[in-house]
Amino acid sequence: MDRRSFLSAAAVAVPAANALVTGVAQAAGLSSGPAIDFKSNLPAPGSYPKKWICGSPSLMDNSDPPVQVHWYNEHTAFLRQSKAYSYEAPFAPLYFGNDRILLLDEGFTQLRNDWDLRGIVDDTIAEWGKRHGKDTSKMELLVAFSHLHADHYAAVNQFFDRPNTRYMGLTHEEMVGFWGMTNFPEEKVTLDLGGRDILIWGSPGHVISEFTYYDTYTQILFTGDMFYRGRCYISFWEPWFDSMKRIIDFMDHNPVTHVMGCHIEISNKGEDYAYGMTWQPDEAPVELTVEEFRHAYEIAKTIKEPGIYFTGAVFLCNQTRGTTTIDKNPYKY
Amino acid sequence: MPENLATRYNPQQTGSQPSATSSSYPNGNPALGYNPVGARNTDSAVPLHPTGPVLHNYECDGPAAGRLAFRWIYGSNIAAKNRDPRVQVVQYNEDSYVLRQNCCVHWEAPFTYLLFGNKGALLIDTGATPEANYYPLRQTVDAIISRWCDMRRRASLPLTVVMTSGEDIAQNQGLAQFAGRPDTTLVPKPLELMKRFYRLERSWPDGTGTIDLGGRTIDVIPTPGTHKDGVSFYDPYTDFLFTGDFLFPGKINISNDADYMMSLARLKAWKDSHPVKWVMGGHIDMQFVPGKAYPRFSTYKPYERVLEMEPELIDEALHYAQEAKGKAVMLIRPDFILLNNVSPDQRTKDWPEGVPNINAPRPF
Repeated sequence: MDRRSFLSAAAVAVPAANALVTGVAQAAGLSSGPAIDFKSNLPAPGSYPKKWICGSPSLMDNSDPPVQVHWYNEHTAFLRQSKAYSYEAPFAPLYFGNDRILLLDEGFTQLRNDWDLRGIVDDTIAEWGKRHGKDTSKMELLVAFSHLHADHYAAVNQFFDRPNTRYMGLTHEEMVGFWGMTNFPEEKVTLDLGGRDILIWGSPGHVISEFTYYDTYTQILFTGDMFYRGRCYISFWEPWFDSMKRIIDFMDHNPVTHVMGCHIEISNKGEDYAYGMTWQPDEAPVELTVEEFRHAYEIAKTIKEPGIYFTGAVFLCNQTRGTTTIDKNPYKY
Repeated sequence: MPENLATRYNPQQTGSQPSATSSSYPNGNPALGYNPVGARNTDSAVPLHPTGPVLHNYECDGPAAGRLAFRWIYGSNIAAKNRDPRVQVVQYNEDSYVLRQNCCVHWEAPFTYLLFGNKGALLIDTGATPEANYYPLRQTVDAIISRWCDMRRRASLPLTVVMTSGEDIAQNQGLAQFAGRPDTTLVPKPLELMKRFYRLERSWPDGTGTIDLGGRTIDVIPTPGTHKDGVSFYDPYTDFLFTGDFLFPGKINISNDADYMMSLARLKAWKDSHPVKWVMGGHIDMQFVPGKAYPRFSTYKPYERVLEMEPELIDEALHYAQEAKGKAVMLIRPDFILLNNVSPDQRTKDWPEGVPNINAPRPF
């Protein structure tokens, strides 16, 4: 499938009829097994683990797996990189449809011999295929990412020789082009994974090149590093605020179960885990409620100056990344 | 050696010019002669067949001979896959050891120092990890001491464990491993008890204390500033000043700027009245490019600066501490960074004039 036909099949602006898109995909003969219904009884229920892998006091004695693969439900997996492989320990959703699989984010380690994300993704896909009678070799894997920071795309090149796989380029142009957008960030495109639609639009602010991904099946809103349970480093306040507004508007008209970001940097008592920490024994959950998001937006409305603002769920670090952060010298006297 | 030996040889032909990366001459420097005075001060005089305890004369002209000939372990890109020793041991000379904690066990990767005298051994600092299975400091120190004792026909040697700061969790965590060790004196952690231990109750912080190791007497110099209970140690044998995190090649978090300046002034006075070869800190944060430091919590530091600091850096630190006093500021210098009244994770856009701004390559 060449680039142009991929775009027309995979991503079209919302006004286009979804039925037509589905039709195209099936006409192309991508179907790989019994069809799964992703459109009834929504949102599809799912659960988060009680505790994610979260590092250890001595990293060379860490016994966590390199990646924790958590099945949120039978067609949705969340991956987390081990803190002993990268302090960023980012989260990465893996969404399965009838025809396509979408991987969002590829961790903070480049090489397979260091951290075999590719092998783990292949195994996870094979496991899903076996469980659901799908021939996953006929399915397309889309390797994309939330935004253009190395802790979210470092392992992309591990997929260079994987058949039936496309991966996103590392420029703003290629990222926007990958989803066929011509009017970033307002334009919402629909990616059809085969009966399972993912809505994608831009949310610049943390960086320029960032997307929000809404999964119509679980109704989870994946916001990358633009909004997550930790220090939201807001590099560009106005675009970020507009991105918040865009998401609020979306929430006003669409059901959202959770907002999910890429990291956890806060304990369940609301304490900050300083940048770079590799042992976070009392982490707060990765998922955020819609109320927490709306509350953060209300607080954001009042913010006029650069600085660090705690909303109760996240730290809004308005243009402070290059100067300061939260923690204090504990020995000051 | 004939008088003209040094001039007879063309360094270009012998390959004996100093190498670009170290001051050593790879094939030896004939200009120094075959029998430099320092040889007298080494332990090479231990008899082949000793009949009783061997005593060593620690009196020497100039610093005792010694060398840090190896690269420090520096962690790995994937901390979970690190297979370096948990404690790296480097013999500086036969009576002085430098130990480093693996930074994949704890990111602070502190240095601890083990010094021997005729009547006792001294351990300066105890590392950042209490668990002996992660960080077997006690076991490592025991092994060095028992080998040393064997060589010198000693049944045992008392050990004193001190710290550059009792409150610094990057240096006091290993102390618990020595609890109950026979013939061992541990410096008490509380400030008042520590002062009494060094007999400094009345003269803190202007006085000095001593620790007698037998022929090798270590001076204790109060240096509060990064910690209210900070002390530095001076060893007149190696001519080292052990400063912990008061002065080290890294991000120095000043906890009280008035104290910090006064302590630096005392160190400067000490340096001006005593020979100091190197200032030996407790950590390395700096990279080998000037002014750049590894972020906190790094477990992979492939481009680290060397540990040892020239004593002139005390003057530089004093000068810039004066500048930082009373301000909230992060001051970058080529060999260290001063942070006063700011977050330990502070960043700054102010780059010092005249210092080349080089970025080391990404580690991956």
